[in-house]
Order: sequence, then C-alpha cells, then structure tokens
Amino acid sequence: MTSLATALRTEALAWRRSTVQRLATPLLILLVPIASVGMTALARSGAVAGTGAAKLADYATGDLATTHLVVAGQVLSVAVLMAGGFGVAAAFGQPLADGRAGAWFGLATPRGTLALARCLVVLGWVLACALAAVALTVAASAAAAASVAEPFDPTAWAAAGRALAAGSLGAGLALPFAVVATATRSPLATVGSLIGMVATTQLVVLLGAGSWFPYAVPSLWTGTGGPEAAAAIAPGALWLTAAIAPAACAVVVHQWRRLTDV
Amino acid sequence: MSAPATEPRTAVRLTDLHHAFGRRAALTGLSLTADHGEVVAVVGLNGAGKTTALRVLAGRLRPASGSARVLGQDPARLDAAAARRFGQLVGSPLVDLALTVTENLRTAAALHGVPRGDVGPAALGTLDRLGLAPWAAVRARALSLGNAQRLAIACTVAHGPDVLVLDEPTSALDPQGVVLVRELVRERADAGAAVLVSSHHLDEVARVADRVVVVHGGRVVGTLDPGGADLERRFFAMVLAADESAAAPGSAS
Repeated sequence: MTSLATALRTEALAWRRSTVQRLATPLLILLVPIASVGMTALARSGAVAGTGAAKLADYATGDLATTHLVVAGQVLSVAVLMAGGFGVAAAFGQPLADGRAGAWFGLATPRGTLALARCLVVLGWVLACALAAVALTVAASAAAAASVAEPFDPTAWAAAGRALAAGSLGAGLALPFAVVATATRSPLATVGSLIGMVATTQLVVLLGAGSWFPYAVPSLWTGTGGPEAAAAIAPGALWLTAAIAPAACAVVVHQWRRLTDV
Repeated sequence: MSAPATEPRTAVRLTDLHHAFGRRAALTGLSLTADHGEVVAVVGLNGAGKTTALRVLAGRLRPASGSARVLGQDPARLDAAAARRFGQLVGSPLVDLALTVTENLRTAAALHGVPRGDVGPAALGTLDRLGLAPWAAVRARALSLGNAQRLAIACTVAHGPDVLVLDEPTSALDPQGVVLVRELVRERADAGAAVLVSSHHLDEVARVADRVVVVHGGRVVGTLDPGGADLERRFFAMVLAADESAAAPGSAS
C-alpha cells in the first residue's frame, strides 16, 4: 500500500506536468459545454438545412436543458475515450519508445505498481475532466434556460447524471490502450489502434450489434442511436463495459511485471 | 544504507551469460563478480557486450541463458528490501524532463524507497553533492547535456545504494563533473558499496577502479591492474590476443 501511495504521488506529479494533460484538459472541459449548448442552439435556430438539419433534428425540440445534457453525454462518451486514449499512449507508449521505461527497473516501488498508478492517474484525470465538463454544461444550460424562462427540472438533472455515467464508462474504455501501448511500445501505434477502434465501433453499430459492444454502449446509452437503441442497452451491457477498466489494469500490471528488453 | 554484517562479500554475480539480438551474439558466456567495497570497471570496444551485460544486471534484459544475481536475487525481481539498496543507470535515467531538478530528485528518492519524511533531505543532499544547487528549480529539459548527466547520476544515488551499476556515467561531463563522479563512486565503495562502472576512458578508469575487467566479443577476456603502467597498451594487447585466440584453428568460437 505504501509503494502504491508513493507511485500515485509521483505519477500524479508527472501527469500534472505532462504536455498531453495540459493540452487535453481545457479542450475536454470546454468542448463539451460549447458543443452541447452550441449544437442545441443551432438545431433550434433554423439556420441549418438539408442533411445537417436531419442530423440535428433530435435536438430541435424538447426541454432545452435536458437536450443540452443529452448532447453533453453523447459528446462526452467519445471525447473521454479519445482523451484517455491519447493519455495512455503518452504515459505508457512514449517511455517505452524512448527507453525511459528502463529506469523503472530495480526500484523499491515495483514497476507493476508504477504501471497501476499510471493507469489510475490517467483514469482519475479523465473522470475529473468529465465531472468538470458536466458541471460546466449544467451551469451553462441553467443560464441558457433561465434566459428564455425555461425550467431546469429533474429530467435535466437525470440527463446530467447519465452524461457523467457515460463519461465514466468511456474513460474506462481508454485503459485497454495502455495494454496496446505496452505491447507495441509505440505511442503512434496506440493512437492508430484507438482510431481503428472508433471506426470499428461505427461498423458494429451500423450492423446493429452495438448494444453489447462495450465501445458502443456509452454512446448508444446516451441516445446517439436514437431512443430505441438507448432503451436496448441492458444493465448487463453497462456492467460489462464497466468491467473493461479493471480488467485492462490487471493486464497492464501483468505486462509490466514481465517486461524485458527495455 | 549499510550491508548487514552477515551478508556475503560478493554483491553482484553474472554467470555464463549468453544472449543474441537476432543472429548477432551479444553475450557469449560472460561471467563477472563485484564485491562489497569494490569498484569494478568494465571496459571494452563498442559492441563488446558491456551495456548488454549491465542491462541484464539492471533487470532490464532477460538473458537467453546464464544467471544474474544482485544481493543474491534475480535483478528483474528484486524484493523491496534489496531494491532499496540498488541503483542502476544504464541507458535512459529516472528523469522526467517536465519536472524540475529538485522534483526529479525527490521523485527518484521516493521511488527508491526513501521514507517520505527523509525524501526532502535526501534530495537536497544529493543536489549539493552533485553541484546541481544552482539549477534546483530548472526543468530537466532545459539542462545542458553535462548537467542532465549529473542529474541522472544524482537520481541514481539519492538513496545511497549498496550496489551501484553505472554505464558510461561520465561521457558528457566536464572535467569538474568527472572528478565529482569519481569521488562519489569512491565514497560509495569506501562505504561498502559494490560499484560496477563501464567506460571507454581508460585513464579515468585507472583512477577510480580496484579492478578492470576487459569485455570483448561478449565475454570477459581478462582483467587489468589499474595501477600498472600504460593501461591502454595492455588493453589493446588483451583484445588482440582474444581476437587471435578466437580466430585460431580449432577455436570453439
């Protein structure tokens, strides 16, 4: 426990100073409220016609605040995966690519513990960003709703809760890319596999098999595929998706314990 | 840290190491030891197998065959008690370029097992010892090559290891830095540490080592007395003899 606490302290400091974190944090926190309020306003302005209007049709009607937070959940579920994926690519792939990971050998803090701490720090960071993004969206939405005398009622709070839960699930889905980063020893290959997974998820959803595919579940659950697709997400699928993060952590720790030729 | 009174004299032991990268043999039966209180210099030409052997010793490379022991344990799986007494600088150091010099030293001390309350004093002491105090608040990425190497060494010794493995620790240092590291290595050995250091600089090695081990073709081909005259000539004679022996008809290699 002491070595994990030490590892968490040192990894948290390193992550706080990392360039990826410094760039991604404001992007993630600001993108979600801007996209949510902006897209809803655009959908209701009538300024978009044709295919664009069809895509935004779901946001054009209904309770304003609830719509903001539904959009927030949809954006967040993908944004946290991308941010977390880039995060683990940098945190795990880069030190293996440039050889710095070799310095983790022969330490009193075992490298498996360091790898676990690195997973937890990146996960904690994405979760904190998701919480901040939802909080900011709630504040922006409440202000927007008040300005047009619309209520911010319990359905909006429920949508905020679902957005946060979907964001948390999406954040956990980034951790398997720490496994990829460790196996490939390349941040670029990790980012490539992340993009590949997003494309694969699109295909799986198109084929109608998304309701049990963990990488599609958070997005579908927030209504990206429509109300029917959201209703089709079973509690078991949510639990399966939530189980990905601890499973990935266990695999990463095993990989780092067995690591050689660094 | 100090060695337990009942501890075996030999702190480091590599036995009959073999390893190849693809078809190229890097280690061909390398064996060597280092005792507590001893500085062993490993010298050899580029590609002789020095760094590969030190990577095995650091636990960073699992050899195809043979065994490595640090304080009686497999270096890839040191327990916490043994790891607290071990320091290695082979290849990239335990330095985060985004952290300041002081933060790196505190991090290194903590990861090497220095108790939380002692991390600050350990970092400060090492900062002064390696002459890094003027750069204490500077990010590691802004350091000159020489100061970056001082920081790398500082991060390796911040916990006062009893076994120290250093690969080319003075390659980027100015004369003052070379003297600092030489004194540091000698201090550690005089305090009972086993120090294994690789170098290309034979004159430097002669000043600090108790024993000079010559590695060539992936194995130890002999030892040199660091105190004798004309170390360079004796080194090349030993390497040449090893080559001629390997090329002789009927040679196993």
